[in-house]
Amino acid sequence: MDQPRVDPDQELVKRTQSGDAGAFDELVIKYTPRLYGLVYNMTSNHEDTNDLLQDIFAKAYRAIRGFRGKSSFYTWIHSIAVNMTLNFLKKRSRRFQLSLDDVDASIQNDKEFLESTATSSPVREADLSELQRRLNEAMMKLSDEHRAVVTMFHIQGMPHAEISKILRVSEGTVRSRLFYANRQLQNYLDEFRKNPVS
Amino acid sequence: MNEFDDNEIARLLRLKRYEQPPPGYFENFLHEFHRRQRDEILRQPLWRICLERAHGLMLRLDARSLASYPAAVAAVLVCAAVISLKIYQQPETARVALQSPPALSAPITEGEWSLTSPVATQIFRTQPVRSFNGSAQTHRAAAPPRYVLDSVPVSYEPTFRF
Repeated sequence: MDQPRVDPDQELVKRTQSGDAGAFDELVIKYTPRLYGLVYNMTSNHEDTNDLLQDIFAKAYRAIRGFRGKSSFYTWIHSIAVNMTLNFLKKRSRRFQLSLDDVDASIQNDKEFLESTATSSPVREADLSELQRRLNEAMMKLSDEHRAVVTMFHIQGMPHAEISKILRVSEGTVRSRLFYANRQLQNYLDEFRKNPVS
Repeated sequence: MNEFDDNEIARLLRLKRYEQPPPGYFENFLHEFHRRQRDEILRQPLWRICLERAHGLMLRLDARSLASYPAAVAAVLVCAAVISLKIYQQPETARVALQSPPALSAPITEGEWSLTSPVATQIFRTQPVRSFNGSAQTHRAAAPPRYVLDSVPVSYEPTFRF
């Protein structure tokens, strides 16, 4: 899928560059939920995600005057987020702790969530909390780079082309990482089918 | 044994979209962002704040267009510097002499004028310009009389040397 030529955030970016802090606030409000999902699924820790998000937007605010619009603001801020998160994960790699407390309990009451799980036999048979735990475990066993690709493609729903721009790698590399990560996840998640939790 | 295929994995992973932060998190995020920004500014030294403001101002004024005229900008700056130096390096005595035209000084008798004595070397009388009567001198009574040569020069125009 091609990136739309007109950046929908162009006006807000221009206003921010001319000193309108309120315009940047609008960008923060717009992108916080999406970037939260990206960073959280790469870190699996709410506090780390919060600190990283603050740093990401602070860095974006400092750097936005140098943003020339060669890519969309969406791609630009996602690049900042992914790179900062990957750098953070490298530093954190030796003190990693899986945080399962941050999973929102209200997920089990979400209508869309229930509909999506109704047709999935392994999921239907599994306890949802256990499912979340297994998913997080499986994700965290991936390398940081593979987890980033899986997060952007499967969870965020980004196309390969967009991911390749954000990571500054070829689309072939994105597809290759995705294929490898899927194989790994298959191995980890097969335990659901073997030993479903009732 | 059935195994997860790619579609099932994709479906499972999409469930993670519904993982949300604690309630109210997004509402408070912007306030927290502002607070951290303020704290960061307060931690910065003054010179860095000024530098960033100047940098921002230059970007706002599109300094790249100004950079296409570096020679003109440099020439203006050099001219301003030279003129400033010229003005402030004039000897004080010369400035007073030139800025106090003889026509405004005390009246000179006809006999003191001659073609052999240039105007600049005229000897002026040191009498007061005006004579004050006693009743008019109140708080200045004890002050010494003021003379024309002590007065403020009429013109502040810069002097020129030829």
